[in-house]
Amino acid sequence: MEKLILRRVDQNNEEMILNFGPQHPSTHGVINFIVQTDGEVITRAVPDVGYLHRSLEKIGESTGWHGYMPYTDRIDYVAAMFPNEGYATAVERLTGIEVPRRAQYLRAISGELCRIASHLISVGTMAMDIGAFTPMLHGVRERETINDLIEALCGARLTYNYHRIGGVAFDLPEGWRDRTLAFLDHFDRFLVEFDRLITFNEIYIRRLANVAVIPGPMAVDYGLVGPNLRGSGVDWDVRRDLPYGAYSDFEFSIPVGQGMFGTVGDSFDRYFCRVREMGESSKIVRQALEKLPDGEIMAPKVQRNLKVEAGEALSRVESARGEMAFYVVADGTNKAYRIRARTGSFTAMGIIEPLSRGLMVADLVALIASLDVVAPEIDR
Amino acid sequence: MPTTVREYTGSIRDTVKSFWHGLSITLSYLVRRPITVQYPDRTTLPVRDMLPPRYRGFLEVDASICTGCQACERACPISCIQISLEKDPQNPKQRVVTQFDIDEAKCMFCGLCVEPCPTGSIQHTREFEGSQADLRNLVIRWSDPLHPFPVYKVDKAAEYLPRVELGTLVRAKLAARAWDAPGPRFLPPEPPAAPAAPAAGDATPAKP
Ligand code: SF4
Ligand code: SF4
Repeated sequence: MEKLILRRVDQNNEEMILNFGPQHPSTHGVINFIVQTDGEVITRAVPDVGYLHRSLEKIGESTGWHGYMPYTDRIDYVAAMFPNEGYATAVERLTGIEVPRRAQYLRAISGELCRIASHLISVGTMAMDIGAFTPMLHGVRERETINDLIEALCGARLTYNYHRIGGVAFDLPEGWRDRTLAFLDHFDRFLVEFDRLITFNEIYIRRLANVAVIPGPMAVDYGLVGPNLRGSGVDWDVRRDLPYGAYSDFEFSIPVGQGMFGTVGDSFDRYFCRVREMGESSKIVRQALEKLPDGEIMAPKVQRNLKVEAGEALSRVESARGEMAFYVVADGTNKAYRIRARTGSFTAMGIIEPLSRGLMVADLVALIASLDVVAPEIDR
Repeated sequence: MPTTVREYTGSIRDTVKSFWHGLSITLSYLVRRPITVQYPDRTTLPVRDMLPPRYRGFLEVDASICTGCQACERACPISCIQISLEKDPQNPKQRVVTQFDIDEAKCMFCGLCVEPCPTGSIQHTREFEGSQADLRNLVIRWSDPLHPFPVYKVDKAAEYLPRVELGTLVRAKLAARAWDAPGPRFLPPEPPAAPAAPAAGDATPAKP
């Protein structure tokens, strides 16, 4: 990296070194890409991360076990339910707290709504980065309804802090179920409209098909997760393969990239996986609302000043950006010894350099957008 | 890359076709009603009344039912609540809360302090419009050394605890302060020197 920057000073070849970001609208947050280009063709693009580092893992060692929950919201603020859930699950595994069934269902419902909201942002900004502005507004409009629903459920629109160790904070408010079902009916129609609006648009398809192809084995090698991995044709989803919470009760399919208009693993496949996943999430929410059992929403007797026996636990949840793992170590006090979050966006940054060789400058934007990286999740 | 003239014209045809396809959806929105409303003066109701009841806005403390247990202070992960208790000089059996400051500028509206409160004295309201030119003005003082309030003894027999209507207290506090009012010279941990009252610094925080 340093060499790259130095070469900018005394360059005597045809290549240029450009800083793409950190405040570029299409880098999805503050990420810097040092791009070495020969005219329009990129020789290499090196992501330079760390602009949004807030020591979230270190903070976990000084707040109590319960007090860390609002911080997990900030790990991924576009889909804050999943870090909440991952952290809560890890601590529950560590302490052996049994989560009531109803709370697990509520977690699944809120999580899937949140996944829809996050994917709407993702596909919307992707279309915007490619040059189509309208789908972004349509996506944000639908997301607004989800935000309203989640706001009615837990009181906040972005940093939900809905999960608690041992359950969830609130039960469904009155009339929420009907509102959600009405929204899902509308949303299924919206998805059809959205497909007509942008997904099967000829220009859009040609712009994305065969761009930045990630073959399946390469995706596994680089540790890609979630829709990025499934877009490459690897059929792996934590919700189905290592079920946690209530997910074993639901029927849903996992969309996998098929190379519809090009090669398996191109940008369009990753995009299309997300669009299909929204439909699947909508199905899961419907099933969960239908089967929702009665009962408590919090495990009984979770101490307020939680002391955890020395030990360690790992939890894996399927976040909107792929598998998210929380690793917590306790040393017997009321604070964590170590909290580690493994997020999908950070590993996705690693694949940008090998993929960017030979890409056009405009295709780099398509690649970044199709990986759906979120800056706070990269740096934490 | 198109290689023949036929492919080339075919691509143009496809482009124009899918262009109109997408645009027809966009155009159909011209005749639908917009879903956006201009804030703040075009909404039918004040925005705070349209928010759901669970909305996590500014915190409000009802001093008349606060037991001074400091559970909220301990629950807050970033210590933006500051409570001090003292014995009432007139009546040694009665403890009074001499300081109850909530730094709304620091608060992240997580709601963790609301949950352990035994009486529901501290609550989130639906107030959110409280911008101040000076950041220190956002420290809302529910008690100060000059006007302490006695701790509330929970009446076990009471069916419910009387609480003033949610939001009225914090609204009054916010309305009493102009947005560009100069801020206090001290932040809450250092109580302003009051000539008549005993300095609050030598009060030992009582154990609940
Ligand atoms: S809402 Fe959260 S940050 Fe604000 S005072 Fe309560 S516990 Fe502290
Ligand atoms: S009664 Fe409620 S508001 Fe008063 S100190 Fe205890 S927790 Fe805080």
